Amino acid sequence: MSLTNKLQFSFMKDLGAPALMALNQAGKKKRPPKPNPHFGPPLKSAKRLKEIMTRHYFLARYARGARPVAWVTSGAPVELLRAFGFYTIYPENHGALCGAQKMGPKLCQAAEEHGYHPDLCSYARIDLGHYFTGITPAGRLPKPDLLFASNNICQTVLYWYKALAHYHNVPLLLFDTPYNFRDITDSDVSFMSAQLEEMIPVLERVSGRKFVMERFQEIVQMAHDTSALWGQVLATMSHRPAPMTIFDAFVHLAPVVSLRGLPVSREYYKLLLAELQERVSLGIGAVTNENKRLMWDNIAIWYKVRDYAELFASKGMNFVAATYTNAWAETIHYLDQAKPFESMARAYGLVILNNNLNHRLGLMEQMIKDYQVDGLVIHSARSCKPYSVGQYDMKRLLMERLGVPSVVIEADITDSRHYSEEQAQVRLEAFFEALEN
Amino acid sequence: MDRLTYLQRQKEDQGRKVCGVFPAQYPKEILWAMNLVPAEIWDPPLSPELAAGHLQPYICSVVRQGLELLLQGKAGVCDAFLFPHTCDSIQNLASVVNDYIGLDKPCHFFYHPKAPHGAAAKVYYQEQLKALAAALEPLAGPLDQAELKRRVAQGQRVAELYGQMYQMRAQGRLACSNAGFYQAVRRGEYLFPDDLIPYLEGFLQGAQGQAPSGPRVLLSGVLPNPPEILSLLDGLGATVAADDLLACSRRLLIPPSAAADPWQALGEQYFSMPPCSSKGSPLGERLDFILGQCRASGATGVIFYLVKFCEPELFDVPILSEELKKQGVPCLTLDVELNQGLSGQMATRVEAFLEMLG
Ligand code: SF4
Ligand code: SF4
Repeated sequence: MSLTNKLQFSFMKDLGAPALMALNQAGKKKRPPKPNPHFGPPLKSAKRLKEIMTRHYFLARYARGARPVAWVTSGAPVELLRAFGFYTIYPENHGALCGAQKMGPKLCQAAEEHGYHPDLCSYARIDLGHYFTGITPAGRLPKPDLLFASNNICQTVLYWYKALAHYHNVPLLLFDTPYNFRDITDSDVSFMSAQLEEMIPVLERVSGRKFVMERFQEIVQMAHDTSALWGQVLATMSHRPAPMTIFDAFVHLAPVVSLRGLPVSREYYKLLLAELQERVSLGIGAVTNENKRLMWDNIAIWYKVRDYAELFASKGMNFVAATYTNAWAETIHYLDQAKPFESMARAYGLVILNNNLNHRLGLMEQMIKDYQVDGLVIHSARSCKPYSVGQYDMKRLLMERLGVPSVVIEADITDSRHYSEEQAQVRLEAFFEALEN
Repeated sequence: MDRLTYLQRQKEDQGRKVCGVFPAQYPKEILWAMNLVPAEIWDPPLSPELAAGHLQPYICSVVRQGLELLLQGKAGVCDAFLFPHTCDSIQNLASVVNDYIGLDKPCHFFYHPKAPHGAAAKVYYQEQLKALAAALEPLAGPLDQAELKRRVAQGQRVAELYGQMYQMRAQGRLACSNAGFYQAVRRGEYLFPDDLIPYLEGFLQGAQGQAPSGPRVLLSGVLPNPPEILSLLDGLGATVAADDLLACSRRLLIPPSAAADPWQALGEQYFSMPPCSSKGSPLGERLDFILGQCRASGATGVIFYLVKFCEPELFDVPILSEELKKQGVPCLTLDVELNQGLSGQMATRVEAFLEMLG
């Protein structure tokens, strides 16, 4: 870490970033948002969210050399890295950003030109495409000093991060989380918590900082509180009408994923929760005429979020629950600062994608009941085998058990070349009919 | 004797139970010691019909064919199934079968830790071995320690024989077609060691001789299927001099452990196997392994023979192939569906590749 970089980073953090962002904002012509009669008033907190995420990506440009930089997978126990002051970048979050800005195909193609097959996860291809071209909507991503992956969401991240470790020539730390074919065992928990302890010397070496248990415990507590708030945010959608939609939640998820363990994310969810509670008390819904309540399965189709939000809202349908957004709230109550390693093993080893499909089905049944769900939209995401394999049977079982109609949309999270508008329309029309009957 | 008849005879004549095992890494010695015959399910030759109702079209044909076998009721010989944790697709297949489809046979699971392997991984692997043995007890009765020791020793003899086969082939001392070599290797996917050992010994005796003098290549990927690649190479006078196949060298070329404790020996063997994408081995290790095999066998080119949609392999290949080319080793990449043969275009690409190797 160099002193100049550190000074520059501090300057940008305290003065430069706010000033430049304000300038940037002032320079942008304000287009009045197009009023859409199907939506309730937009969330005021969205402005703060935008500031937080813009600032995070903006400061990232100055992080290298000032702070140790880690690239981290979305399910990794980042709390440990926070204890060493790492500036963290989430390539999956960056992938979603690229997807939402419809840059997926271009970046994927760049990876494909280097031999990465079009059938591979498009978050990975976007990230590798960014490596080869430097193209990003975030200005510039800092090179990593360390890669931190956990296979609790998929094995794909391990293959992908191995490639990153080769290209960037930096160490890769893997948090290996045995898949729970049945119940998690004490042996699984000991294995995972021992791995976290084994990582400490590597993290000390890369960051140049000593591990301080008390600091780590505070961070664990902060992450616990943030995720608990996120859980409360999601729970507001059990009200009728729901004060937000899952399409909002896909966006408001960013801090709990990528800034978890930092005060800014906890404070943000306090703000968002207060706003949502107010909307509940005033009976303000995200969709003006909420007559059907839906659940979403799998990651978003990032390039279609806006279109889908409008389409469903125009029919008075609101998405009130999703297994995906729930993932950052579901297991976090295990986090316990008194037993940080062991509790992290449980919190991260039990996430939805690391748990058997029976568990997933049970969870979905519960959510369908809790959120009074009338129908289910299942995104079969070509990128994501762990999320998608099993969905056909799950659809059948949910129909048999709860009589909930559902539709499978074959698509991809960011690579729109795998999306067929025609096929989706035909399926959705049949679904809308089934819902009305 | 075909595979099914062999398995039925094992049950009838030897009183053994059969455990259908999905790919790839598992401690077969434990099954042997519990008088279970592991029958590996890699590529049953079935036309996929029923699996399409359960799996998306973007799932590999190893998973698809394996599920098809179960759905068509053609795994009746199996008394139980074992799913090692190989990749996301096998992981979810295991859960689909166990949780959603529901078989009237027990399903067992085995998690092998992913690299890099620290001290915790070694402890955990031991626990996994013992947990597997405990899980199999209701089916097979208690595990006898002396029997495990005997079967571990047999496993080491099997590895030694495979090692000799690979070494003789690398040295050009096997007068055996590519197809014949892999037919012999793949007998290990279902033969009980009491039969496998004499079979491999016999193969080694019978196959000694001068290898053809044509081009020599290394075959990398998951398994040598569709087998047409082997007959095509045979027809062109080319030899697969070494391989980096998940179903073959990556599981078979195991350095022997000197540990007296059989559990310890199994652990040491797992951690010293060749690098593998299904274990998350770093790319540098795999590259060194492939280069070492090329050097030792005189292979001058590498054919990546990939199963379509196989993520673990598809992620490794771009860097491996780029680095190999930098080291002067030309590479050819083909991705194929099992049981679909080789297209004319692929065959032409193989021919052109061999011509380039000279
Ligand atoms: S989309 Fe799926 S496969 Fe890709 S990184 Fe995320 S969890 Fe893994
Ligand atoms: S072929 Fe590849 S994706 Fe398919 S089961 Fe084997 S390792 Fe997994």
